[in-house]
Amino acid sequence: MRHEKDYYQKIGFKCGLEIHQRLLTSEKLFCSCSANKEGEKLPIKIERTLRAVVGELGEIDKATGFESMKGRRFIYNTYKDTSCLVEIDEEPPHEVNKEALEISYLIAATFNASLPDEIEVMRKEVVDGSDPSAFQRTMLIGYDGFLELNGRKINIPSIFLEEESSGIESSDSEVVIYNVNRLGIPLIEIDTDPEIKNPDEAKEVAMSIGTLLRLTGKVQRGIGTIRQDVNVSIKEGARIEIKGFQELEVMDEIIDNEIERQQKLIEISKKLKERKAEVGEAIDATEIFSKTGAKIIKSAIEKKGVVLATKLSGFKGLIGMEINPDRRLGSEISDYAKIAGVGGIIHSDEDLKGYGISEEEINNLCNKLEIKENDAFIIIAGEKEKAEKAISLARYRAEYAIKGVPPETRGIDSKKNITKFLRPLPGGARMYPETDEKPILVDHKLYEEIKKNVPSIERIESRLMNEIGNKQIVEELIRSPKLQDYFYIAEKVKDAYQLIATTLLQKMKELKRLGIDVERISNDTLICIFERYKNRIITKQAFEPIIKALPRNCSDVDRIIEEQKLVRISGDELIELIKNEIDKGNKQKNLIISSIMSKYRLNIDGEELNDVIDVLLKVDK
Amino acid sequence: MYSEEIEKALKKEKIEVGDKIKLISPKGEFKGILMERPELGDNNILVIKLDNGYNVGIRFEKGSKIEKVESKEAKKEKEVKFKAKTKSGLPEVGLIYTGGTIGSKVDYRSGGVFMLTKPEELLAEVPELENIANIELNPLMSIASEDMTYIEWQKIAKAVADALKKDRGVVITHGTDTMHYTSAALSFMLNGLNAPVILTGSQRSSDRGSSDAFMNLICSMHVAAKSNIAEVAICMHESSSDTYCSIIRGTKARKMHTSRRDAFKPINNKPIARISRAGEIEYISEYNKIREDSDDKLRLLTGYEPKVALIKAYPNSQPEIIDYYLSKGFKGIIIEGTGLGHTPVSTLHKEYSWLEHVKNAVDSGMIIGITSQCLYGRVNPNVYRNLRLLSNAGAIYCEDMLPEVAYVKLGFLLGNYKKEEAEKMLNVNIAGEITKRSEIDWFI
Repeated sequence: MRHEKDYYQKIGFKCGLEIHQRLLTSEKLFCSCSANKEGEKLPIKIERTLRAVVGELGEIDKATGFESMKGRRFIYNTYKDTSCLVEIDEEPPHEVNKEALEISYLIAATFNASLPDEIEVMRKEVVDGSDPSAFQRTMLIGYDGFLELNGRKINIPSIFLEEESSGIESSDSEVVIYNVNRLGIPLIEIDTDPEIKNPDEAKEVAMSIGTLLRLTGKVQRGIGTIRQDVNVSIKEGARIEIKGFQELEVMDEIIDNEIERQQKLIEISKKLKERKAEVGEAIDATEIFSKTGAKIIKSAIEKKGVVLATKLSGFKGLIGMEINPDRRLGSEISDYAKIAGVGGIIHSDEDLKGYGISEEEINNLCNKLEIKENDAFIIIAGEKEKAEKAISLARYRAEYAIKGVPPETRGIDSKKNITKFLRPLPGGARMYPETDEKPILVDHKLYEEIKKNVPSIERIESRLMNEIGNKQIVEELIRSPKLQDYFYIAEKVKDAYQLIATTLLQKMKELKRLGIDVERISNDTLICIFERYKNRIITKQAFEPIIKALPRNCSDVDRIIEEQKLVRISGDELIELIKNEIDKGNKQKNLIISSIMSKYRLNIDGEELNDVIDVLLKVDK
Repeated sequence: MYSEEIEKALKKEKIEVGDKIKLISPKGEFKGILMERPELGDNNILVIKLDNGYNVGIRFEKGSKIEKVESKEAKKEKEVKFKAKTKSGLPEVGLIYTGGTIGSKVDYRSGGVFMLTKPEELLAEVPELENIANIELNPLMSIASEDMTYIEWQKIAKAVADALKKDRGVVITHGTDTMHYTSAALSFMLNGLNAPVILTGSQRSSDRGSSDAFMNLICSMHVAAKSNIAEVAICMHESSSDTYCSIIRGTKARKMHTSRRDAFKPINNKPIARISRAGEIEYISEYNKIREDSDDKLRLLTGYEPKVALIKAYPNSQPEIIDYYLSKGFKGIIIEGTGLGHTPVSTLHKEYSWLEHVKNAVDSGMIIGITSQCLYGRVNPNVYRNLRLLSNAGAIYCEDMLPEVAYVKLGFLLGNYKKEEAEKMLNVNIAGEITKRSEIDWFI
């Protein structure tokens, strides 16, 4: 992280994590659809409209008076194998999946949580259409938990068991298309108290929680099966929910950049307050640009659109002020405008001539808006309805810039490791009991039994040390998402433990970076390769060419070994080869090695070659 | 209700459901709103709504203490005044509310589902209706349709007849379970109907954003306000999508799925029409049209003979059931037979043959009608010997009429006509319940 630990305390840094993890069950949470198939056959499309009580944008909808969800159609792509009537709200939910419930108890135990006496299933209203029922089913299964980290207790006040939502396929102002495949997969949500002290700690907590979850062996693995969200705020800033951390490695950098963004915005707001800044009304400036050479504006007008402008008094120089590398206040205002479907905004802190706007047009606009010394303006060009909504949103954001930092949900720009606006922070969603589900009586005796299976990092470390013997590799493996793969393979092969670990941790990553789609190789196929190695059919060196050929199964592996002539040369055959070299006149060990290896590098084990040459040369003497 | 122990503790602290409380129990401290105890589960477990919105159940054990933190806010009963805003130029339509899922809501605090007694609340959520018609609202009753009897059918028929004195159409909200029974009853009772009478309901309660109630109501209102359909019909979703509703003749509709939005299908028929969410009506098959220049007045025939039964024939069924009904003074039975209208007749063991019992009942003055549990298709009194035997015994074969509709019809006929007339009218078409031709695409 960028600063010393006490810096974060000084700036009033507050941080909490929300982890969502998909559980490894065969069926979904409230029906018997598969929880781990993809559903390949052609989708059946179901179209619905929602009567949203409050729009998706919550406060903004109230402030700007426009209901973002009104009139939108939702198309749900449903697949026969993974969706049933329950997913599309055509049948009441079935009883809670017992397998999922027990896994959630195990996770509660892993984080030292208590279980209530009765679990009440709730409905949480969802207004963005991602759930055909217009609500998500969720339940609190654990409370008062904690994570021990470096001698400190990080409190985990709540653990929830809930349904995964649909995946969004596309969205515009009229239609949103969802894929209902994963809707209903059981998900555990772990929330920490907002008492994380600094970005490094945030990263550590996220990694620890992730590792512990994986160690239970009962969670799904793969991209998208775990989602880490971080809530961050600083003194005078606002709570920002950052969603979608894929690579935990850069979590601290992203948080540091977010802190910087908030600090810059606070700085801007103070300056604006000093200048008594104000946001003006939107005016129609289409006339002024009727003959413009500016391409963006011209094309909007040609399509019968309008050009709207607003004076932002006191904003001069501040819209263009950088808040993150290559991002300004203007970029944030533009993000809000884009919600309405326009391409963005043009603001006066930019090089207007670069857009093709003439001096005359600028003067005319400044006159019309009565622009004075410290004033700025923004321009939005586009189809009338969209432009009107856009400028309303832009004005809203500009007004907030005077107040300070708006509470938002932000995503991650992984190229620059900064956050990017997604949507305003939602208010508390309405929650009420799911009357189609009986309350669940908790079996505390069962919980005591389950506690015995809580994963212990110490126990696993000691087992791995026994098998692998190398502390560094063991520590890396424990933190790695490949740990479960290691267990699966090692348990079958029962040999070559260190090789299995290093292949998973290093070799596969290396090959992936070269562009080889190693994810396609199943663990069972890998077991095949390790067994061939264990049975001395191939050497270590053969691994790379075999993996590169992307074998689909055991017979593929054998076929590749044959086709690429990867069979190990050993024992008598090897002796023969060496003898030939000696007979040719090669009596020096390293010459023999380089001669043989230049031809048979993939087929000969270096150690064996070394040993046999030694014996033969000695004999020869 | 909570357990005696809990109720005692609550009473002592003057705590009511809805108050903010603090529970100190061996399991820990819990602060939140006290919720009503759900009907199912252990009533010695307190349900508390935490600040995060979640409900949690904590047992009231030895050593537990409950304290009141704050009394609940006095719930201001929002006076929801649905003022039928009369817009000039809009047609007058009656809206009769009888209950059902379409008129039920979930109480966010207690979590209970309850029927709206103020239909104004439902209408307040569907402001589109005001632009379709001037609505005359009649909150007639609030009954789950599985609990309805012929007495409710009579009340509804009278209310419709009254409404039609000033309105050009009527919409009736109704539970879906027995909506097709009521629609059949109304089809017969509203003799000479010259206006659209549309029943509608919903499979998903109206408090959900995803409810089918809204579109169903809006479409029904469109049909009642501007179509020239002079029949009783059911308006519900045509498919699982919110794209079209189906208008199905009341004597040919049946609820064919326990939970789907498009549960109602026409049997031995095609829908009269389909209507889009925007209110565009597309007519699909023949129907009775409004007769503009007609002097014929609506004749309300609300008589109904309740001593009529609907029974199913199946392998091993005991035909003594007919004797039982006869002994109880029943006047008619509709049999849901197998295939073309069979009951067991030439069984190896005589005690399973229905023939004698049917003959006996007919000779004693009962009307016995035959329909098929296949639902689709037409029964036939001639094709097999067993059918002819039954027919000769006096059983009346009811063409392609649905069993439930035949049952309602028989009660209606015996309630309004003498036995001899009723017998003659059973398998003759009155209100679309019997067709002469079975079209080729009238199957699933």
